[in-house]
Amino acid sequence: MTTDALAQPALVRPITLRRISDRSGLNTAAGHLLMVLLSIFCLFPVYWMVASSFRPANAMFETSLWPMTGSLDNYTQAIDAIPIGRMLINTLVFSAVSTVLQLLTGILAAFAFARWKFPFDKLVYTGVALTWLVPFQVVMIPNYLLVAQMGLLDNVLALILPNLASALAILLLAQAMRGFPKEVVEAARMDGARNWRILWEVLVPNLRGTIASLAILIFISTWNEYFWPLLLSRTAENSVVQIGIQMFMTTEGNQWGPLMAASTLASLPVLIIYIVLQRQVVQSFMKSGIR
Amino acid sequence: MTIASAAPPRLRRMTQSRWAPWLYLSPALITLVVWIYWPLVDAVRLSFYQWNMLPNSPQLFVGWDNYQRIFALPKFWQALRNTGVYIAGLLPLAVLIPLAIAIYTHDLPARSRNVYRAIIFVPMIIAPVVAAAVWRWLLDPGYGLANQAIKGVGLEPVKFLSDPKVAIWTVILITGWKLMGFSTLILAAANANINPSLIEAARMDGASKWEVIRDVRLPLLSSTVLFLVVMTILLGAQWSFTYINVLTGGGPLGSTTNIYYLLWDFGFSTMSVGWGSAAAVILFLGFGALAFVLFRLIDRYSFHDN
Repeated sequence: MTTDALAQPALVRPITLRRISDRSGLNTAAGHLLMVLLSIFCLFPVYWMVASSFRPANAMFETSLWPMTGSLDNYTQAIDAIPIGRMLINTLVFSAVSTVLQLLTGILAAFAFARWKFPFDKLVYTGVALTWLVPFQVVMIPNYLLVAQMGLLDNVLALILPNLASALAILLLAQAMRGFPKEVVEAARMDGARNWRILWEVLVPNLRGTIASLAILIFISTWNEYFWPLLLSRTAENSVVQIGIQMFMTTEGNQWGPLMAASTLASLPVLIIYIVLQRQVVQSFMKSGIR
Repeated sequence: MTIASAAPPRLRRMTQSRWAPWLYLSPALITLVVWIYWPLVDAVRLSFYQWNMLPNSPQLFVGWDNYQRIFALPKFWQALRNTGVYIAGLLPLAVLIPLAIAIYTHDLPARSRNVYRAIIFVPMIIAPVVAAAVWRWLLDPGYGLANQAIKGVGLEPVKFLSDPKVAIWTVILITGWKLMGFSTLILAAANANINPSLIEAARMDGASKWEVIRDVRLPLLSSTVLFLVVMTILLGAQWSFTYINVLTGGGPLGSTTNIYYLLWDFGFSTMSVGWGSAAAVILFLGFGALAFVLFRLIDRYSFHDN
């Protein structure tokens, strides 16, 4: 799969379809109405989060769609209450390192599956695929105990450990490598290239579309991860921003403004990625199914 | 490049490459074994012990006691029932409504459809904790926008998250909000991939609009629909975990606790490793059996375009 496959819009409308009934204009209008309603349902909460985050404390409970008097008070309050800058950096490190390492282990493993036939290869492949069916809640206690034994509780790097490899990356990359033209690989081998060079100089550069879309997917899902950091975090300084948001909610008061400001800050990186790479983001999520 | 010239080097490398695949596989396999397979085995072992997770307290072997106690707990059965409610509640939101929307809007112009696509995908990339925070604000009994609107038309405010009868549906709605746009996109993509000549042929035969949907589109979409149904059944209750954790804490009165939340509760609130592990093993076996049956069903009952 190359960049072309990514860029290909999945929803292109078949042009050959002829309009048959006269009512199709009305149907289209109803279709638009349906989509507009769904769009409002999907987008409004996000809009309301951003709008609320700019409301000054005395206007927090106003229901005007647009904050009449904008203010950054909520942001300064959020920054005072939790070390949000530190948390954002932690989250960035956690997500970026997880993405790079998961891609690395995925590329290596996928190459083994695509390149060789070896004893038990089918079995190992199935074993990798089946890990997808193990809910995290099932293995959380032993995982937690293992991290505790290693003395790595409350450590951002420990968050990365279970994310060092994922079935998703391995399977998607193996699929892409199997689809890569054999002739090109053979030609490189004729030129005397060893496996290591074939992988990094032929396969990886040619699969950069798949790899990039996988990277987006891993980065966003790691950025949004909540459960595993919740288990390991002890102090705000060593925690990710998702835990920071949760901290505002457990203190049972009505700190809605700072909460919305923190939520907006936590969503900003992902939203920026989405705005810049919208088509690629949607494609990469759709290609991998849900998770 | 011909096949004849490609074959010999492969043979030559056979002996040399016996260890190579394992070398390439090792980082990934070690990770998966250490963090998934070994913990799975360890969970089975711990499910036969009584232990409070403190390193220097003894692990006491209790045999099948943990399992017997869990099956005797009303809480467990309540969580199992709730898991069913979650799945049943999510199916319309994550499959049925998206299916209807995908079919109904297939002939919208491509340009506007791309705009809708960009918008309805947004909930998918929003972090679950953020989604929980925003919905908590929107649904606040006193000042939330939803209740202000309800009060505005003269009705009693709804306690979306603290009324035991309502809370589970609120969590389902929020989970559905996250998934609805995404499912719609998956189904719309599948719908757009249907060969238009099939539809045209059916129309030539005088099929009505509804007959085209029922006899052509739905059968061709069935494998995608089945896939989404299976995902919802297998993962539906899991998707709501963060919302339960952040918004209701499983309450009020356990009314939003599903099986995944119960595991968390056993393991980390009550610090009972044995119970948590036993419940995890029960869940895993049930989950595995369900997955097996569902994937068999997909194989059997899905139609294919080609």
